Amino acid sequence: MKILLIEPDNLLAEIYVRVLKEEGHTILRVSSAQAAITQADKLSPDIVILELQLPFHNGIEFLYEFRSYSEWQKIPVIINTFADIRKIFISSSLGVSKLLYKPNTSLRQLLRAVNYAISVTS
Amino acid sequence: MRNSFITEGIVLSRTDFGESDRVLTVITSDSGKLRIIAKGVRKPKSKLAGGIELLSVNSLTVLPGRGELDTLISSRLITSFCNIIGDLDRTMTSYNLLKRMNKATEDAVDGEYFQVLRGALQGLDKTEVPINLTELWFNVHFLSVSGHLPNIRRDIDGHMLEPSNNYSFDFEHMAFREERKGTFNANHIKLLRLAYIAEYPQKLCQVTDINTYIDKVLQLSANLVRLNHQV
Repeated sequence: MKILLIEPDNLLAEIYVRVLKEEGHTILRVSSAQAAITQADKLSPDIVILELQLPFHNGIEFLYEFRSYSEWQKIPVIINTFADIRKIFISSSLGVSKLLYKPNTSLRQLLRAVNYAISVTS
Repeated sequence: MRNSFITEGIVLSRTDFGESDRVLTVITSDSGKLRIIAKGVRKPKSKLAGGIELLSVNSLTVLPGRGELDTLISSRLITSFCNIIGDLDRTMTSYNLLKRMNKATEDAVDGEYFQVLRGALQGLDKTEVPINLTELWFNVHFLSVSGHLPNIRRDIDGHMLEPSNNYSFDFEHMAFREERKGTFNANHIKLLRLAYIAEYPQKLCQVTDINTYIDKVLQLSANLVRLNHQV
């Protein structure tokens, strides 16, 4: 599967990319919303993993923009974020597959979320 | 011969249109709600919102179209609400307001809707103003410009609302009804009135003990918007 990873933290990104590649996925990592939109055009991702706390335009803005393109409306988006997800209400119209709080999410849980997203799209 | 015109606008939504164009739905200060094609912005380098900043006020030069769609000639940023973008809750709230405004307005709306939305975004941009105050302000002013603000002076029987009475709200008649065990009192109604007369959301920060009453009044205003606009 082609995964677009939107992660501004370099160290975390390196870990995620390694783990996801070991599972056989193709990963493209970017660190901003604008780069994500540009690369999504090129990559045509099957799944998006998104940190909400991004520089310049945040993850919510990216999601609204991403979903405004008809070919990207059904692509699963997994939010994996440092933001306090208990305090954020994310509209169901944005089609978030899974909402993960990074400090409490293991790599295994992230992989499980990816596998679930794959099973749903299959 | 069609002449281009210049207007101020806030983007409400955008969709793709063909391979390289985007259609933006924009609410403007003096030209109603427009659907504008931004040509060639999709490829080779897609820009967020087709080059027009989201959550901002832009000066737009527009060429009227023959059909439903006009064409964007150029845009210039007037006001960017950076503090909204820096806060996820404020971003989410802003998009909800844009969605509500888009869903509830037809094309031929006057400039008051633009003023209400701009006022709300300005309120959300001020980090010292709690989000719920701005939401309340938006709901009340949105109801007012759309002609759906309930009577906040008299009750369902035409009597002046009294400070010593309790009231319930009658959604069928869009008015308060005196009721001994009613959950709305003078302070709730006063807050509703203050939200109506406040020129900007930040004015509501001056209200004392607002936290005691805001939730109920905000819930009422949200229900009224939902009921009257199916949003």
